[in-house]
Amino acid sequence: MPQVTLGVSALYHDAAAALMIDGQVIAAAQEERFSRLKHDPSLPVRAAQWCLDEAGLSAQDIDQLIFYEKPLRKFERILSTSIATFPRSALSFPRQMKAWLGDKLWTRNRLVEAFGVRPERVGFSDHHRSHAASAFYSGPFERAAVLVADGVGEWATTSLWRGGPAGLEPLGEVRWPHSLGLLYSAMTAFLGFAVNEGEYKVMGMAAWGTPRYREALDRVGRLLPDGGFALDLDHFSHHWHPTRAYTDRLVALLGPPRPPGAPFALLDPSASAAARAESQRHADLAASVQSWLEDALLHVIRHAHQRSGEANLCLAGGVALNAVANHRLALEGPFAQLFVQPAAGDAGGALGAAQWASFGVAGRPWSPSRFRPDLGPSLDEGRVADLVADLGFPCEALPHEDALLDRAAQDLLSGQVLGWVQGRAELGPRALGHRSILADPRGPDTALRVNTRVKLREPFRPFAPSIAEEQAALVQLPPAAAALGPYMTVACPASDRLREAAPAVVHVNGSTRPQLVSAADDPRYHGLLRRMGEATGLSALLNTSFNLKGEPLVGSATDALATLARCELDAVYIGPLRVGRPPARVLGG
Amino acid sequence: MGALRRAWIGLTGQFAWRLRPAHMLRSFSRTEQGSALDMFAAVESTDRRDIRKKYFRHALDEWRHAGIFRERAREVAGPDAVESGREEAGMLVEHGIVGGRTLFERLGERDFLAFVFVAEADAVEQFGVYARHGLLDAGTEAALERILKDELFHVSYSKHELDRLSEAEGAAAARGAVRRIRWSRFKEGYLRLSRDIGHGMSSLWLLALYGLVLPPFRLFARLEAPGWQAPPTEARSAADALMSEA
Repeated sequence: MPQVTLGVSALYHDAAAALMIDGQVIAAAQEERFSRLKHDPSLPVRAAQWCLDEAGLSAQDIDQLIFYEKPLRKFERILSTSIATFPRSALSFPRQMKAWLGDKLWTRNRLVEAFGVRPERVGFSDHHRSHAASAFYSGPFERAAVLVADGVGEWATTSLWRGGPAGLEPLGEVRWPHSLGLLYSAMTAFLGFAVNEGEYKVMGMAAWGTPRYREALDRVGRLLPDGGFALDLDHFSHHWHPTRAYTDRLVALLGPPRPPGAPFALLDPSASAAARAESQRHADLAASVQSWLEDALLHVIRHAHQRSGEANLCLAGGVALNAVANHRLALEGPFAQLFVQPAAGDAGGALGAAQWASFGVAGRPWSPSRFRPDLGPSLDEGRVADLVADLGFPCEALPHEDALLDRAAQDLLSGQVLGWVQGRAELGPRALGHRSILADPRGPDTALRVNTRVKLREPFRPFAPSIAEEQAALVQLPPAAAALGPYMTVACPASDRLREAAPAVVHVNGSTRPQLVSAADDPRYHGLLRRMGEATGLSALLNTSFNLKGEPLVGSATDALATLARCELDAVYIGPLRVGRPPARVLGG
Repeated sequence: MGALRRAWIGLTGQFAWRLRPAHMLRSFSRTEQGSALDMFAAVESTDRRDIRKKYFRHALDEWRHAGIFRERAREVAGPDAVESGREEAGMLVEHGIVGGRTLFERLGERDFLAFVFVAEADAVEQFGVYARHGLLDAGTEAALERILKDELFHVSYSKHELDRLSEAEGAAAARGAVRRIRWSRFKEGYLRLSRDIGHGMSSLWLLALYGLVLPPFRLFARLEAPGWQAPPTEARSAADALMSEA
């Protein structure tokens, strides 16, 4: 009988389900793609059902359902922190206790009820072990050190593991409330962005500034001689305040926080000098925290190298999605090779929980492989065609591969911005050519147009390129980051040629966050890039996630068409169909 | 019942619009955003291909309305206002997928249409009361006027489609669906109120517990030290540890 394992992450943010059969990952998806609520934390009932449907199974066939963390250990941390921070935790205690006593403490029962499995089949990994497993067992190394860094799991905020044929061996951890992720999140909130959502924006904004607040930040986050770090907790309140992550002392140190939604005046020629100075201060703060994080991570991985004795490093946890930091780790760190899979956040925890149960506990044989993130749902072409017809969108069927790619390339070359929905959806936050918005990166105004008229988001945010593998020289990927090429998990300097020819995908500081696409991995997408290369000499496209600001990546055909209708996209390619902009009568209003 | 409802809306509106206008506008924005999700889900789920376009247009309207309300809230509140996490979380509870199913899947097409009809008619009535009582500033009234035109279309098409769907069984079937939805909305409102009261009460109890029981333990409690620490020792086998929640 095949062994069916369902991994589940939920109840904090980015709920997901991942299905493995006899050690093979069959399907994985995030609940947000079904519910349309970004970072949806609720139990991933729809995602799990889709995974089972994909495999032709039902809930009765699940041999093990593995939750990605241990709720009782997490509750212990919350309760003891409330006690240790008495009386400052007065506001957070009732809120936390209500959430836990009324809901999260009964996770096993909720899982049994929601997924229809027997209680004795429900197991629990540890939060950081799930992350570590998702990085190591998805990676290309026989042996590696594994570093997990995020906000917090049960107790650990940073943990070190040694991965090898015998499994994952824990080597050490830094515990709550000292957390790299939470310092970065506190600064994210300080800069007026939503925590667990705006960290990318801080990273993007950092390129506009200089780290002139580094000295101040070195005082609130110290690097320790043991290879760890310590936060000065007088400046932070994540451990006792229910909603605010920093205290007035941080405000006294760094000046007033940026109001949410404040305009970014550095890109506005008509802005006043005062507004520009204020935006520059915000960018400098972002640059300072980015610089602090990079130095802290370098400090930590030097310890990891020494302690583990391994040559290669896998990184996981939300902090591992900091592509700018990953470049410095690859360039200046002691490891020969790095690997970061693109679902390094909590969604990947579902995958890791299932992998840990399969390989680490059941002892199934495992071998290094090339990770493919396209584990999610694909769209039924017949249903899509019906929907398009019913909604009255103009549509053209292009059943022949060459005709489809020629037409898409022609659209892009004429300056159109396209939605691109092909094959199975990606797991994790990165659109890697399956649920993407694409544009010709050569236009000087392309970035601004896609930001403000298509994505409806902040104008300072950068775009990343997809590049055909044979033109990898367009970017200066450090040798240690070679394994990150396919996943957009590292930012690196753009070549002079890319800077000159494709300004839309090069950030203000000359960096870019590439996805290198091979014909073997993704023949259709590679074919499109190749056509762009034939026409322009540059086998590259601007590739950004197919969503609007504040929304998850598109899941269904309706989501794709709704996005087309609500912004200035020119067309969407869904499988072999080219769907054009809808006539005004469809849009109403 | 209708007069009572209008009086209640007028009375509560007096306080709400005077004391927390931005909060009101943000809550409308979230409701519209949630409705857009429900309508898009209906586009995917319905078997009646001739109604999809109406659902789709309705969803786009709701999404646009959410933007109008959000923008107005921002204008009313000023640039420094921050939306609380609790307000954000409120939307998660009421829309999208609940218990693995969308609103359309939970209700079925007839009751879904009845729900749309009742909810939209209630909204039109609510906006009307606010306008008649002069509770809105000029900017908000102008925003509502833009929205009201769409809402009237939503009321009329949903009623028309509900009647059309119920044609075979007669008008009583449509009336029955509307009654069921009115009752369930009343029940949900009551449950929401009870839940809010329960939350308030439990917060007080837990706060009392916090003040009375926790202080002695504070003497022994310490936050974890910074820096690297040894991983927790695990005496159990990996298989046993996997089955445990602790």
